[in-house]
Amino acid sequence: MSLAVLDRRQDAGDPWIRRLTEPAGRPAAVHGPLLCTVLHTAAALLLLTGALPVVDRGLVLAGLAAASAATGVAWTARRSRSVVGSLAVPAAHLGAVALLHAGTGSATTLFLLVGPLWALATLPDRRGVLVAVLGTTAVLAAPALAGPPTADDLPGALLLGPLAVAVGTAAVHGSSRRLAAQSHRIAQLQREQAALLAQVQSRADELDTASRILAARAQTMTSVIDAVTEQSIIGTDRDGTIRVWNPGAEKMLGVPRPDVVRTRSILDFHLPEELAAAAEDRGCGTGLEALVHAARQHGSDVRDWTYVAADGSHRTVSVAITPRSDDRGVHAGWNFVGTDMTEARATERLKDQFVSLISHELRTPLSSILGYLELVMDDEDQPLTDEQRQYLSTVERNAQRLLRLVGDLLFTAQVESGRFTLQPADVDLAGVVRAAEETARVAAASAGVQIVVDVPEDGLVVAGDAVRLGQACDNLVSNAVKFTPAGGRIDLALRRGWRTPDGAVVDHRSQDAVPVALLSVADTGMGIPAGEQGQMFTRFFRTSNAQRNAVPGVGLGLTITKAITTAHGGTLDLVSAEGVGTTFTMALPVAG
Amino acid sequence: MDPAQHSPGGGLAGPVPGGEVRVLVADDEDDIRALVCLAVRKAGCQVVAAAPDGTAALEAARAELPDLAVLDVSMPGATGLEVCEALRSAPATAGTRILLLSAGASPDEVARGLAAGADAYLPKPFTVSGLVRQVRALAVREPVA
Repeated sequence: MSLAVLDRRQDAGDPWIRRLTEPAGRPAAVHGPLLCTVLHTAAALLLLTGALPVVDRGLVLAGLAAASAATGVAWTARRSRSVVGSLAVPAAHLGAVALLHAGTGSATTLFLLVGPLWALATLPDRRGVLVAVLGTTAVLAAPALAGPPTADDLPGALLLGPLAVAVGTAAVHGSSRRLAAQSHRIAQLQREQAALLAQVQSRADELDTASRILAARAQTMTSVIDAVTEQSIIGTDRDGTIRVWNPGAEKMLGVPRPDVVRTRSILDFHLPEELAAAAEDRGCGTGLEALVHAARQHGSDVRDWTYVAADGSHRTVSVAITPRSDDRGVHAGWNFVGTDMTEARATERLKDQFVSLISHELRTPLSSILGYLELVMDDEDQPLTDEQRQYLSTVERNAQRLLRLVGDLLFTAQVESGRFTLQPADVDLAGVVRAAEETARVAAASAGVQIVVDVPEDGLVVAGDAVRLGQACDNLVSNAVKFTPAGGRIDLALRRGWRTPDGAVVDHRSQDAVPVALLSVADTGMGIPAGEQGQMFTRFFRTSNAQRNAVPGVGLGLTITKAITTAHGGTLDLVSAEGVGTTFTMALPVAG
Repeated sequence: MDPAQHSPGGGLAGPVPGGEVRVLVADDEDDIRALVCLAVRKAGCQVVAAAPDGTAALEAARAELPDLAVLDVSMPGATGLEVCEALRSAPATAGTRILLLSAGASPDEVARGLAAGADAYLPKPFTVSGLVRQVRALAVREPVA
């Protein structure tokens, strides 16, 4: 991408700029030794060839030795940035030139000044200029100091020479400094540019990563939605235009995705009459509004709708409808996640029909059995013997038991299919409790169990279905009798209590608590194992104690009792300990 | 013979005071129909017809014009509810008192029965004594029309 190009361009870096940005002392340190080496080698060759006269051999040798030593040090310390070193080496060279000048007495040797003067002039330190001037003065004065004056113009040369050197080196030094300052500035700008480029690169990397993550997420979402083949996932705009259509929807409705997305409405797959009926029921607008009304009100909605497939067939689909928001949290449309319940609902209907049929078919012969038994047992013209009466009583008791079982099965089926309705009226629970005790009295007496009733004298009225509440109470009492060994005791108690908003039932009034009637049935029976207490309200569940002790029953009583309690807006709880007993408490809301 | 003399204190047995009440019984189950007939007679009434289905029940009702009809709800031909509505809509039988018997005893079913024009509704299985009481109660009631 473009930023990588920028990056490479930066790496390529102009060598000229790079050289400029080197520390200012470096060119002198590098070029000084080389230049001096070349110059002094040339001087030595001139001396050897006799082009340069040797006046004083000692001074010339000392000069060459000093030049060699200084050049050697310069080569060795060429990496050093020490200012003293940078001054000392050219100063030593100047000394060597002074010795050679004095030893030869020839002005030719003055070309050797170029090396050290260049080195000193380009030093960042102004002392370089001073050393250059002093050194030049010393070089010019050296022949005079070593012997008698060889020229009359020495004073002029001593004055003008250093002056020219001072001006020259000062000019070179100034240029060098300006150049160094500029190169320093360029280096700074380059660093800033590099930093900016790095920043841009880093931001670009972040963007790249973010877009990769987003793409990966989108891919994950798409693959998840595409993996759902048994549920329809349909997403729409606010106006119902389809935007998302997964393979499950394709399969369920027989229309491929390209044929619906952006071109068709969710309403094309619904029954108009069903939507119209829903609109009437909910008192809202028709069409899409009827479909999403409940989801708009409550945040989500799950119910059965009829989808019309491409081949015109109708599917009963349980559709979960939720609103969809965009990235700014603004409502953008609706999601419809559907599960085809056509077969399941048909099976449920079949089961309902079957249960109704069976219960009718079982009730009819039972009606005959019980009716004719009654005729025989109540026939005053032909009274039965005690033995006959006992046998027929057994027949009657078992026929009644079968009848109750049929009733329980039918009731359970009604609860499951949601066809269980209550006939609400004011019901005095005290009367319900007394009636339950009366019903269970004979069975309790024959089992050797004592029933104690404790209800308020003035009664306790709740709104409910008297028959169903009686059935619920009977179930609890009959269970208590069945599970309590001889010599045991059953307490039927009715009192007022309060239910707090978190569902706890307390004896004392507290803030926000609603008044409830507490109907409890406590026995001193065998108790329920702790591990089984959670399953007590599951239909057909029987405790291990019940099975071990062959207590009769099919495991529907508590399921029915719980359903009745729930339908009344109440709760049913149990507390039990094995070998100690069980207490069931039904809490039903009371008015006021 | 005065039938009232045979039912002192409103007992179960014996004819209904004020003359023998003519009753139509309809139930597709033979045993139940026989049991209902027995109960009707125990209540001191006369069974004028015992029909095994809804169609026969309607024909018998039109022919006999009974005072009381004891109808099973679930019958072939025409259901007890349909017979009930047909009797109520025909002027000749509109005043017939009607007792429905049904295995369905849910509040909805009872409400449907009463809406169809029945005077009383007795869920199955019934006790003979309960049916006798119900028949007697309807038998002594003045006809609706």
